[in-house]
Amino acid sequence: MKLRRIMVAAVALAALTTSGCSGILSGGGSGGGSDKGPITLAAVIPTSGSSAPTGTYMENGMKMAIDEINAKGGVLDGRKLKLDVEDGACDPTQAAAAANKAVSNGAVVSVGGYCSGATLPTLPIFNSAGIPMIIPAANSEDLVTQKLPNVFLINGTGVQQAAAALKFMKKDGVASVALVDDNTSYSKDITAETKKDAEADGSVKVALATSVTAGESDYSSVVNQIMSVKPDMLYWTGYYQEGGLIINQLKAAGYTGKIMVADGSVDPSLVKIAGGTNADGVFATMTQTPDTIKGAESWIADYKKKFGSDPGPYSTQSYDAVKLAAHAITEAKSTKGADITKALEAVDGFKLFSGPLKFTPEHTLSNGGFQILVVKDGKFVLQDALS
Amino acid sequence: MTQLIWNGLFVGSFYALIALGYSMVYGIIKLLNFAHGDIYMLGAFIGFTVLSSFGGITASMSIISLLFVLIISMLLSGAAGVAIERIAYRPLRNSPRLAVLITAVGASFTLEYGVSAIAGPNPRVFPVRLGGNSFDFLGARLSVPQVILMAIAVVLMLGLNMYVQRTSRGRAMRAIALDPKGALLMGINVNAVITWTFFIGSALAGAAGVMAGAYYGKIDFLMGFIIGLKAFTAAVIGGIGNIKGAMLGGLLLGLLEAFGSQVFGGQWRDVFTFAVLILFLTLKPTGLLGERVTERV
Amino acid sequence: MSGAKLGENTDATMAPRRIGQPQSRISQFFESRQLGWVALGIALIMPFIIATNYAMNIMTTAAIFVLLASGLNIVVGYCGLLDLGYIAFMAVGAYTSGIIAKAFDLPLIFTIPAVLVMTILAGLIIGAPTLRLRSDYLAIVTLGFGEIIRLTANNLSITGGSSGIFGIPGLELFGIDLQQPVIFYYFCILVVSLFVLASGRLGKSRLGRAWRFVREDEDAAEAMGIHTYKVKLLAYIFGAVWGGIGGVLFAAHLSAVSPQSFVFLQSALVLMAVVLGGMGNMRGVVVGAVIISLLPEFLRDLGNYRYLAFGILLVAVMVFRPQGFWPARAWEPERPSDPPPEPVAAAGRAAKTKRKAR
Repeated sequence: MKLRRIMVAAVALAALTTSGCSGILSGGGSGGGSDKGPITLAAVIPTSGSSAPTGTYMENGMKMAIDEINAKGGVLDGRKLKLDVEDGACDPTQAAAAANKAVSNGAVVSVGGYCSGATLPTLPIFNSAGIPMIIPAANSEDLVTQKLPNVFLINGTGVQQAAAALKFMKKDGVASVALVDDNTSYSKDITAETKKDAEADGSVKVALATSVTAGESDYSSVVNQIMSVKPDMLYWTGYYQEGGLIINQLKAAGYTGKIMVADGSVDPSLVKIAGGTNADGVFATMTQTPDTIKGAESWIADYKKKFGSDPGPYSTQSYDAVKLAAHAITEAKSTKGADITKALEAVDGFKLFSGPLKFTPEHTLSNGGFQILVVKDGKFVLQDALS
Repeated sequence: MTQLIWNGLFVGSFYALIALGYSMVYGIIKLLNFAHGDIYMLGAFIGFTVLSSFGGITASMSIISLLFVLIISMLLSGAAGVAIERIAYRPLRNSPRLAVLITAVGASFTLEYGVSAIAGPNPRVFPVRLGGNSFDFLGARLSVPQVILMAIAVVLMLGLNMYVQRTSRGRAMRAIALDPKGALLMGINVNAVITWTFFIGSALAGAAGVMAGAYYGKIDFLMGFIIGLKAFTAAVIGGIGNIKGAMLGGLLLGLLEAFGSQVFGGQWRDVFTFAVLILFLTLKPTGLLGERVTERV
Repeated sequence: MSGAKLGENTDATMAPRRIGQPQSRISQFFESRQLGWVALGIALIMPFIIATNYAMNIMTTAAIFVLLASGLNIVVGYCGLLDLGYIAFMAVGAYTSGIIAKAFDLPLIFTIPAVLVMTILAGLIIGAPTLRLRSDYLAIVTLGFGEIIRLTANNLSITGGSSGIFGIPGLELFGIDLQQPVIFYYFCILVVSLFVLASGRLGKSRLGRAWRFVREDEDAAEAMGIHTYKVKLLAYIFGAVWGGIGGVLFAAHLSAVSPQSFVFLQSALVLMAVVLGGMGNMRGVVVGAVIISLLPEFLRDLGNYRYLAFGILLVAVMVFRPQGFWPARAWEPERPSDPPPEPVAAAGRAAKTKRKAR
C-alpha cells in the first residue's frame, strides 16, 4: 500500500517533468528587459548584518550616480536608470538568492559585490543569465581565477594591494615587517601576496606572518608575538574593528614601530576604536576615498547634502561602477549582456575616480590605483600617491 | 612568559565573573542559561548608554565615575536577568529540559537582535576609555587599568563568596541547590531566592561587560555569544554549581587560551577552547572542584 | 498487531499513548495524515505557478532545509537530544563532496559514498564522547563541535580556507544535466521526499520506539534492556547522514561552499523549524521548515528584525504552546477515568469478547 503510493507519486513526477516542462522552463527569468522603460541595475550588497554600514555607503554612491545620469536624460534615448538593491548580508546563500531575485527583476548590469565570500556564488548566476558584473569592492583573487567572461573588477586586487604595500615599505626604509591577517579570504590574500613579493624581492624581511580570529576583544597574544619579534612595521590586512583594537593594545604594550593597514581598515571608526591619538601616523594602502581624491570636494559636499552623512569607503567606487555601466550601455547601444561586455572590454581611458580605466585581459584594473594614506589628526589623508 | 601568564589571568578574570553567574544559576535550578553571555553584552551597552548621556567627561576616566557607571549597569543588568527569568524560565519550571533549553536559545536571540535593532548593528566605541600608565613587573608589562579591573573583579568574586557562605540568603541558595523540595519544606521562599540568584549572576555579568567596554573600547551586539560559551567552559572546568570552581575555572581557561594561542596560532584559539571543554566533559565532567553528583552528568 | 496507521506518530500498543484526538485545531492540523501529501502536492505544482529562477532558487533552498529539519527531528524530536551544532553535519557533507568532486573531477553523484562514510564518522566522533552527558551539557558541547568544524574548515587549506570551495560541478545523472533550476528543483523534491518518508518510517520502527522511550525516561529505558548509548548513537548517525546528503544538495545548489554558511545561526534556524513544527512530528517539521526558510525571503526588508522575531517566537512557542507543538500526550500521566483511545478500546473490546467467549 505504502509502496504503491510511492510508485504512483514517482510516475506522476516523471510525467510532470517530461510533459509540462517546456512551458515552465521558458518562464525562467529574462535578463534583458523590455525595449522601453527604465533600465535596471542590480546591486547585491549587504544591507543587514555587520557589513551593513558599508552597504549603505555603496548604495548612496550608486544613487548619486543614477540621479546624476537621470537628470541628464538617462541613457539610450531617454531611458532612465533604476537601482535594484538586494540584500546579500555577506552570506553566500542569501547572496545567491538575492542574485536570483535581481535576475528575475530584469537586471541589465550588476554593480554590487562587497564581501568576496558572498559574491563568489553569484558569479555563475549572473553569468548564466548573461548579465555583466562590475564589482566595485570585492577583490579576492578567487573572483579572478574563475575566469568568467562577464566579470569585471574595478577595485584593486589583493595582488595589486600587496605590490603597493611592498613598494611603500621599500620606499620608507622598512627592513622587517610583521604580517597579520584576520583569517578571512580577502585579508589572507593580501598577506600571502605581500609575503611572496617580499621574499622574491629580498629587501624586506618577513619577521612574522600570522592570523587572528575576528570578533574578539583581546589580542594580547598576537601583540606579544609582535613585540617579541620587534619588526620595523606591522601590516594589518583585516577590518577596522579588529585593527583598532590591535593598534590600541600594541600601543599600550609599548610598541614604537610603524603600522600600516589595508583598505578594509580604512574607516573613521578605526581611529575611534584605537582610542585617543593611538592611530595617528598609521599608514594605509587604499585605492581611493573621497577625501583623498583631488577635486572630489564638491562631490563630497553633494553627497553630504543629499544623504545628510559623510561618504565612506567604496562610495566612490560604487559611483564609478554605475557610471561605467551607463557608459558601456551607451557605447554598446543595447541592453544585451554580450554587447555590454564587449563594450566594457573596449573601454580605454574612461575616467574613474581612481584614474583612467583600461581593463587587463583578466578584467581587472590595469592600474591598481593603490595609494598610501596616513592618519593625521584622526583622519585619513593622502601620504604618497605611489605613481 | 610572565607576560603570557598575566595576559591569561586578566582575560580569565572576565571569564570568571561571567562563569559565576552560569554556575550559580545552574546550581540552583539546573538550567544552563544560554542567554547569560548576552547579559554581559547588555551590561556593556547599558554602560555605553549611561556614559553617552553624561557626555563631556574627560578622556581619561576617573575611578569614581567608573564605579558609578559600574553600579548602575550592574543594577540594570540584574533587572534584565530577573525579567528573563520571569518571562521565559519560570513558566517552564516544570517542563521538560528540552523546552527550557530551547527557550534559553530564544531568549539569547531576542537579546542579541533586540540590542542590534535598538543600537544598530555597528560596533560602538565606549566614549570613555580607561587610560593609564604601564609598568613592568617580573618581566611582564602591566598597565594600571588592568590592575584596577583585576582588583574589582577579585573584590566582586570574594564578595560573592562571602555572601553565599555567610548570609542567610546565601545559605538559602545553597540549600535550594542541594534539595529544592526540602528547602521549600523548610520555609524558604524558593521563587524569591531563585530570582535573587538570577539578579546577582546577571549583575556580575553586566559588571564584566562594562569593564570590558571600558578597557577594550569596542562593543558589538554579538560579543556575548562567544564569551558565554567560554564562560560555560570555565564553569565546567572548575566544576559547575561550584562558586570557587567558577573562579578557578575562569582563570585557568584564560591561562590555557593564552598558551594555546601562542602554541597553535591565533586562528585556532576558539577551537582549542572547545577542545578543552569536550576533553573535560569526557574525562572529568564534574570539573576540578566539583562534587560528585548522584545524577549522571 | 501494531495498529500503527500511516501518519500516527505514536504506536498505540506501547507508552506513550494518545488520549483521544488532539483538542485544538492547530494540533489536529499539524498531526493530520493528509498534511504530508498535501505539502508534497503543493511542492510539485509550484513550478507551474511561478518558475522564475529566483522562485526556483528559494524553493530549492527550502527543500534542502526540509531535509535538514527532518534529520534534526530524528535527533531532537525522536530521541530528545538537543543538538545545537547540527549544521556541522551538513558542512561535512558539503565539503566532502565539493573537495572530492573538484580534486578528482568526479560528478557529484559519485561522491556520495564518501559523503556517507565521512558523515557516519562525524556522527561517531561527535556522538561518542557527548552522548553520556546530560541534555544541557550535550547542547553546549554540540554547539562547540559545530564551531570547531566551522573554524577548522575556515583555517585549513584543503577546505579552501575562508573562501571555501567554489566552482563545484553540478549534479549529473545518466548524462542529463540536472542543474537547470526547475529540473534541479524536482530532483531535490524527489530526494527530500524520499528521506522524509524514510525518517517517518524510522520513527515508526522498533528503533523509533526505542528513541521515544529514551527521550521519555532514559533510566527506565536502560532498565528495560534498551542499550541507550547505542540507540542514541544511532539517532546521531542517522541525523548526520541526513545532514550530509543535505550538504551534497547544498553544494550542487550553490556551486560554492564556504564557512560563512555554517555559523551557529544556521543550526539555530534548523532547530527552530523542528521546534515550531512539533518535535517528533515529521509532517509538522516539514511545514515548520518551509516557513522558516521562506519567511526571511518574504521579510527581506526587515533585515535584522527577522532574527529578533524568531527569538521572540521561540520563547513564545515554548511558553505558551509547548503542548500544541509537542506531543502533549507524552507528558500527561495515564488517567484511568478517561475513556481509552480508539485502538486500545478496540483491543480492549477484543479482549472483552475473548473473555466473553470463554
